[in-house]
Amino acid sequence: MLRRIKIDWADLPNFHPLETPFPAPERIYPGLEEITPESFPDFLNEIGLVGMGGSGFPASEKLRAGIGAHTLVINGVECEPGITIDQTVLLHHALWVQAGANASAKAIGAKRVILAVKDHPAQMVPLQKLYPDYDIVPFPDRYPTGAEKLILKKLTGNMPAPGIRPYQLGYIVQNVVSLRAIGRAMIDGFPVVERPLTLAAPASRFYKNTIVPIGLSVREILAAFDLLYDPARQLIVGGGLMMGCEMALDDLIEKTTTSLLLLDRAPLKKKERNCIRCGACNTACPLDLHPYSLVERIQKGKTHSTAFQAQMTECFLCGVCSAVCPSDIPLVQTLTEGKKCLP
Amino acid sequence: MSSVKAPFLHSGTRTSSMATWALSALLIPGAIYSMLYPSPFIFQLIGYALLGGLAEGLYHLIVRRKLKFNPMGSALTAALIAASVPPSMPFLPMLYAILIAIWIVKLPMVGLSLRFNAAMVGRLFLMQVYPGSIVAWGTPTPDVISTATPQELYRSEGFALELPQLLFDRIEGVWEELFLLVPGSPGETFPVLLLLLGGLLCYRGIIAWRAPVAFLLSFAIASAAFGDSVLFNLFSSATIFSAAFIVSDPVSTPMSKGGKIGVGILIGVSNAVIRHTTYYTEAIVYAVLLGNLFSPLLDRTAFMLRGRRLNQRLSQPHWAG
Ligand code: SF4
Ligand code: SF4
Repeated sequence: MLRRIKIDWADLPNFHPLETPFPAPERIYPGLEEITPESFPDFLNEIGLVGMGGSGFPASEKLRAGIGAHTLVINGVECEPGITIDQTVLLHHALWVQAGANASAKAIGAKRVILAVKDHPAQMVPLQKLYPDYDIVPFPDRYPTGAEKLILKKLTGNMPAPGIRPYQLGYIVQNVVSLRAIGRAMIDGFPVVERPLTLAAPASRFYKNTIVPIGLSVREILAAFDLLYDPARQLIVGGGLMMGCEMALDDLIEKTTTSLLLLDRAPLKKKERNCIRCGACNTACPLDLHPYSLVERIQKGKTHSTAFQAQMTECFLCGVCSAVCPSDIPLVQTLTEGKKCLP
Repeated sequence: MSSVKAPFLHSGTRTSSMATWALSALLIPGAIYSMLYPSPFIFQLIGYALLGGLAEGLYHLIVRRKLKFNPMGSALTAALIAASVPPSMPFLPMLYAILIAIWIVKLPMVGLSLRFNAAMVGRLFLMQVYPGSIVAWGTPTPDVISTATPQELYRSEGFALELPQLLFDRIEGVWEELFLLVPGSPGETFPVLLLLLGGLLCYRGIIAWRAPVAFLLSFAIASAAFGDSVLFNLFSSATIFSAAFIVSDPVSTPMSKGGKIGVGILIGVSNAVIRHTTYYTEAIVYAVLLGNLFSPLLDRTAFMLRGRRLNQRLSQPHWAG
């Protein structure tokens, strides 16, 4: 049975503190009138903005393609479980986010701005106060609702067809942190040089949302927060529990690093067993795919059927199937390989 | 140091504890049975479960596979066989059935897409080779008679139980002065309890609800269509027991959601058909094995259909700006 993935150390229904080294803004840069569909993408290039929800896709291209879309969606639905940075930015940097959202909406000519957030009743009231002009749409707090596809599914009522980009449906989905960066650049003249992220070491119950300069090394950040790291026992994960990857001490924080997590190694060492054909992976897949059937076909090289190709294209490697597999089969790793079988 | 890959999170049950959960659930009706009709059945059940675990251990020693040794699954298989035949079944046939189920069906088929439910194969063996014992209304204790099933009573004597008797299973009827009749095999005796246990297992994520629910519904509908009493059919014989422990078995039923529902319907309908048209009261055994046989096909069909649906969406019209 599919249940919500519970993360006790991050399941905070109330407000998340944010540590920031500088004061919040007080006024909106009066340049909103100057924004045009032609100049805005160049402005985004100039400040070096990429999709800060983790995709890293150049924001200018996304925006240029989306000119003419009728709706701008502010994606504040945290994609990864255990990370609360999007909600935190929404609550603490409303002015920047709004500046960024208004500018983007104006540039593409969107009539409507939707604020997609996680369904935390306690946060609804403050959010409504902070964003009175936007339609706030709550999304269930379950991984991976924050994925672009699934947000569109809820908004349009239909699963977007494989390969269809949101702007083809008239939507443009921007991550909260990206919009914040636009606002920051417009108001304070800062290019994208900082990255809000969630920093957590669940074993020592350390949990913080903070803003770090891009380009700092993991070592420096851990030192700044007095976090002890023991490579034999612990593991640094950047970018979330489900889709992130292991980081070394000297790796640098990038624009797309949504989180830094210090996890214990022991519970992650799982030995793969035989598939018991329980179907937990099928039931859990948010796109109703057949993960183990795909994996079987990849391993046997039977990757030419249309059914396989259609499902493999659709899969966005969210990792839910691996997470629920009672036999600890690393399904998503094989699926990543399988992506290469696509024409 | 081996590198660990995403996801760094696991959720839900692990295989190692699944069989343990199911086995513990099975021990509950076993224990109640032993208390209600003073009988050593619960010890029999535990003994056979141990035997099953031992059989798997031996298999590992002799055939030596790379499989992780987890005797719980085999213990569960053995216990399921023991619970689904009359407690008077002698030891030797039981031993054969358990060894056949575990050494020939369960373990060698690990990893294949076509797998049969080992407990049902064991029971089929007993039915074929020791038909006398399986319907033997043996006497676990001198004044208790265990019948094959109320279904059989109904078939041979036209003696239908009232609903409350079915639900709580103490027959107080014509033979009461002589003997206390205990209908069915021990595992099948408390349908309401089994229903609750099945629900609990679903809730705990040990079994998936689709196949058992589809099985019960389609069986009820098919029985009604044949003009048989739905409640009687649902609550007699091994119906609920099978829904909770046999049809819900992950390994021998399809993985896909559609396939699970399909196999439930297949088993339910064929069970109703066999019950209606023949005198086999053990229809469920054949129905389940039939369902197992079709499982790979159902999975493949579900996979293809999903692919086709996705491809159809590609040609859907979409907003064009
Ligand atoms: S990674 Fe697994 S759960 Fe996620 S979309 Fe792909 S098949 Fe489905
Ligand atoms: S969840 Fe794991 S064990 Fe279950 S069917 Fe999928 S791959 Fe097999």
